[in-house]
Amino acid sequence: MKLRILGFLIILSMVFNIGCSKKVEEDISNKTWDEILKLANGTKVTFYGWGGDENINRWLDNVVAKELKEKYNITLERVPMLPDEYLPKLLNEKQAGTKGTIDIVWINGENFYNAKKQGLLYGPFTDKLPNFNKYINKNSPDVKYDFGYPIEGYEAPYGKAQMVFIGDTAKLDYLPRNHLELLELAKKYKGKITYPDVSDFTGSAFVRNIIYDIVGYEKFINLEPDKEKVRKTIQPALDYLLELKPYLWREGKTYPSTLAQLDNMFADGEVYITMNYTPFHVVTKIKEGFFPKTAKSFIFDKGTIGNTHFLAIPFNAPNKAGALVVINHILSPQIQASKYNPEVWGDLPVIEPDLLNDKEKELFKNVDLGEGVIPQDMLLKHRVPEMRADLIPIIESLWREVVLGNGKNN
Amino acid sequence: MPYILLLPVLLLIVFIFIAGIIFGALQSLGYFPAIGLKTFTLKYYKYIFKDPNFFSSLKFSLYTSFVSSFLAVVVGVLLAYFLLANSKKDLGFYNVYKIPIIVPHTVAALLVFVLFSQSGWIARILYRLGFIHNMTEFYPLVFDSKGIGVILAYIWKGAPFITLITYDILKKINDSYSKVALNLGANSFQVFWYVLLPLALPTILSGFIIIFAFSFGAFEIPYLLGPSNPKALPVLAYIYYKSIDLFERPYGMVINMCITFYSLIMVVLYVLVFQLIKKYKI
Repeated sequence: MKLRILGFLIILSMVFNIGCSKKVEEDISNKTWDEILKLANGTKVTFYGWGGDENINRWLDNVVAKELKEKYNITLERVPMLPDEYLPKLLNEKQAGTKGTIDIVWINGENFYNAKKQGLLYGPFTDKLPNFNKYINKNSPDVKYDFGYPIEGYEAPYGKAQMVFIGDTAKLDYLPRNHLELLELAKKYKGKITYPDVSDFTGSAFVRNIIYDIVGYEKFINLEPDKEKVRKTIQPALDYLLELKPYLWREGKTYPSTLAQLDNMFADGEVYITMNYTPFHVVTKIKEGFFPKTAKSFIFDKGTIGNTHFLAIPFNAPNKAGALVVINHILSPQIQASKYNPEVWGDLPVIEPDLLNDKEKELFKNVDLGEGVIPQDMLLKHRVPEMRADLIPIIESLWREVVLGNGKNN
Repeated sequence: MPYILLLPVLLLIVFIFIAGIIFGALQSLGYFPAIGLKTFTLKYYKYIFKDPNFFSSLKFSLYTSFVSSFLAVVVGVLLAYFLLANSKKDLGFYNVYKIPIIVPHTVAALLVFVLFSQSGWIARILYRLGFIHNMTEFYPLVFDSKGIGVILAYIWKGAPFITLITYDILKKINDSYSKVALNLGANSFQVFWYVLLPLALPTILSGFIIIFAFSFGAFEIPYLLGPSNPKALPVLAYIYYKSIDLFERPYGMVINMCITFYSLIMVVLYVLVFQLIKKYKI
């Protein structure tokens, strides 16, 4: 008897499964924008991405979602989930051939590379978006490449981040403009400067930034991911870091394991320099009273590393039309300007200033950046692209070997 | 068949725990079909066993877990004895010693950081009192290559646990032994050293093994408080594991297998200790 019930249940579930997969999804690739808007009207769009920052969450829920409801009658549902959770989910859905649940993912770097390679993304779609065509510079490397990999229309830019250093002007005589001045400063303020261990995202970016400052970033565009070749290319930078080492905090024998720890030490005055990949981080920290008012951002003359983060649509997104409308709206000058405000998020806009009319330019000029930050045009003028993802682990392991281990393994 | 009631838990253990170990072992041997590695090889083991970083990490992990567990046992047993000796008084207040047991390890790490770092409370107090003239004069207790911060955090977590298990055992020991000893002229130290301690030793030993095995395999405290070099074994494994180059994952799995192997030795020791306990009917 039990077996029969079980058998019945199995058959029942199969029937339902077939029912689901049979539902034909409308192909939107040949539709005009007006038809897409009509299709999206009254639908729900799910947005999956990192949810670790309350400011960003609030902005998405209150500003973006509200406007979408008013303008397009779309309900935006934000689901906090990281790529290392939603990508396996998509992969499983692909293998099982089941219906998708995610309409938009917030993604970049090696996650995009993996997702695109495994066929988990829908596209190319960016040329369908009116705002993408109107406001985005399609030839900019920030839009064409994501950590060195060609995008080919499979993701639309969302915002930009850029590495900045933060120094306490009350304690330091000057803020260094290149790696040599940094070394001078470290000699002068022995034990008061350090950077996070390369296991930390920002620590790793700092080391890459030093490498760029010494050997230039052009050399890495076509560099083979071979340890000995990378070692040869970055040798001058490794030598520099070894020279810097004895003047660092704890004589460079140990490094803060996280950026949060370095920030803490900076706030306590144990070190005089910290750094961040979010360029307006310092404003929020000064406002919170965590950093001294004399904290100020600075960058190197040759530039600091920047990356772009993106929005993409999964291959099995149930509401692709809605996803397109949402992404298009996020690329509008109003939304990009509201996210630029450091009190809201402080994320750099992706739209090209030259493509804006005067009224739209006003939107960005009116944003009050606050104390201690570097304005956007200065940042963008001193911006170097992020390194290819396959070179990064090699550089991290060379740093551990040569700089941390004093070259013991050589 | 009382064991059938354990089935749900056993299923969970078998599927999650054993499956995890098997997948880890397969990956450490180079079998990782998801990224196209399908041939079994020992090259990852060979690489790791030749790597001096691995051995300095192994030494660091063994050293910090042994020292912290040993000191936690000493402190924990003394505290248990103190509670026992004063058990007639109302010691409700002393139950606070149990708090560290329920506090997560990350919080313990934060406490040690706030108190003992060079910009921590103790350094600040010493600075205010004029004992030190700047922060760097304060002896580095956190992120130091001697692992003092790591050891402090583990003692703070481990000692109350030892107290908890030994206090019950000490209480259960028939107090006629102690009375006889006292009657024969032993002082209270001798009663503790020659009567109570030997009787409670198997329990103390099993407690030692538990906290040793835990601290040897746990990640968060050495990650948050340990030095950059040498790194504790679990931290080293984590770095290999989270590398965006998936081909580095087998190295991390080799280290995990080594940690598992040491833990297995601990389990064997634990079983032996229990047989000892049974033999002496404690």
